[in-house]
Amino acid sequence: MNDINFDFQQIAEGQGWETAFAGMTIVFVALTVVSVFIALLPRLLPTLNRFLPPVVHHTHSTSVQSHSNKPTPTSSEDSANEIAAAVGYILHIRQKK
Amino acid sequence: MTILSEFLTTTAKLSIGNLVMILVGVIFVFLAIRRDYEPLLLLPIGFGVIVGNIPSGMGVYDSGSVLNYIYFGVSQGVFPPLIFLGIGSMTDFSTMLSNPRLVLLGAAAQLGIFLTFIGSLYLGFSPMESGAIGIIGGADGPTAIFLSSKLAPHLLGAIAIAAYSYMALVPVIQPPVMRLLTTRDERLIRMKPPREVSQREKIIFPIVAFLICTMIAPSAVVLIGMLFFGNLLKESGVTERLAETARTSMIDIVTILLGFSVGCSTQAQTFLTKQSLLIFFLGALSFAVATACGVLAAKVMNLFLKDKINPLIGAAGVSAVPDSARVVQQVGQKEDPQNFLLMHAMAPNVSGVIGSAVAAGFLWSKLVT
Repeated sequence: MNDINFDFQQIAEGQGWETAFAGMTIVFVALTVVSVFIALLPRLLPTLNRFLPPVVHHTHSTSVQSHSNKPTPTSSEDSANEIAAAVGYILHIRQKK
Repeated sequence: MTILSEFLTTTAKLSIGNLVMILVGVIFVFLAIRRDYEPLLLLPIGFGVIVGNIPSGMGVYDSGSVLNYIYFGVSQGVFPPLIFLGIGSMTDFSTMLSNPRLVLLGAAAQLGIFLTFIGSLYLGFSPMESGAIGIIGGADGPTAIFLSSKLAPHLLGAIAIAAYSYMALVPVIQPPVMRLLTTRDERLIRMKPPREVSQREKIIFPIVAFLICTMIAPSAVVLIGMLFFGNLLKESGVTERLAETARTSMIDIVTILLGFSVGCSTQAQTFLTKQSLLIFFLGALSFAVATACGVLAAKVMNLFLKDKINPLIGAAGVSAVPDSARVVQQVGQKEDPQNFLLMHAMAPNVSGVIGSAVAAGFLWSKLVT
């Protein structure tokens, strides 16, 4: 661009109308297809679940633990904490009464 | 004496233009620190503008300089896809998955890109320059940089500064347009809370949406690919460490390098031109038109829908994530403090990111070949 030059002819020469129309169409088509897919997804899931049942991944937790220096609680510690929480709850209820 | 003389010679090389740009840089830094306007972007850009306008002979355009190496990531379009990876790993598509109709608002807002493209052609810019300017309307800084580095590298500085400035000015530009195009009753519309989305949907979505978008617009593969790859890292549940890195350290590092080097590229000799002024004007227009198109699209959709959409959320179709969604929330709450539109506005907001990347891919393939 060397100088400001207002001219509608430049739009036609640069295929402005066609490009804008084609571009808008492509954006709309792409997002409409995505939108339709999202709408259908909840209906497709039961079928997918039948062939490929969901699994719980443990990779994340193990990888985090393997890179952490903090000691991880053992199962006996977990159950001790649960018992302590239950005892605390019962004491709290009794005190309220 | 020689050292003093050399020092004075360097100082004397500062043109009025350089001083003006340094002042612009100081204003950016001031706005970032004092007004909290997009500080993560404006501060690096602002300081970059100051650095770039010191005639040192070691600027971004001087081959072999450190800044030139950093600017390589901008000029070759390396940084924007990395930013998209980070954006993907921090984006939650749940609201969009729970209400797929709102995806269309993200498409409607991209009309601003193409109307500005036509406007730029009318003003005498070449088709490639017009494509690069039009993408400012997508309100997506990385996409604007990516496309202008491919289509019009000589306008990169002006386009990047315009795109990021307008992203920072979302709270100033959008509300008047939103209020102008909606009635009070429309602004008071309350929308149904979004449904809960299963993890499986969130995992399947980025893979299938990537395939759909790239089948329709193959040249969007780089940006869309990185966006959805980042999202898959987040949603898969097995790569949390990678997702965490992408959305924190990596995106921060790239933002610093990108913002600073874009700022450095705005040397007065290349930046203070008639073209830059026009780009700023067209950028603001593009942004306002995109906002208007999103709001109007929501109003049109309301003609056919039983569960009405609050048309304010159409404004979030411009992909300034999450600023435009935040603005929607603020404007909505001015009318009704109990109306929470943020969640709903995130749907067109994230679909706008996809839409602008598809539009950029289309413009690239159409105008380069």
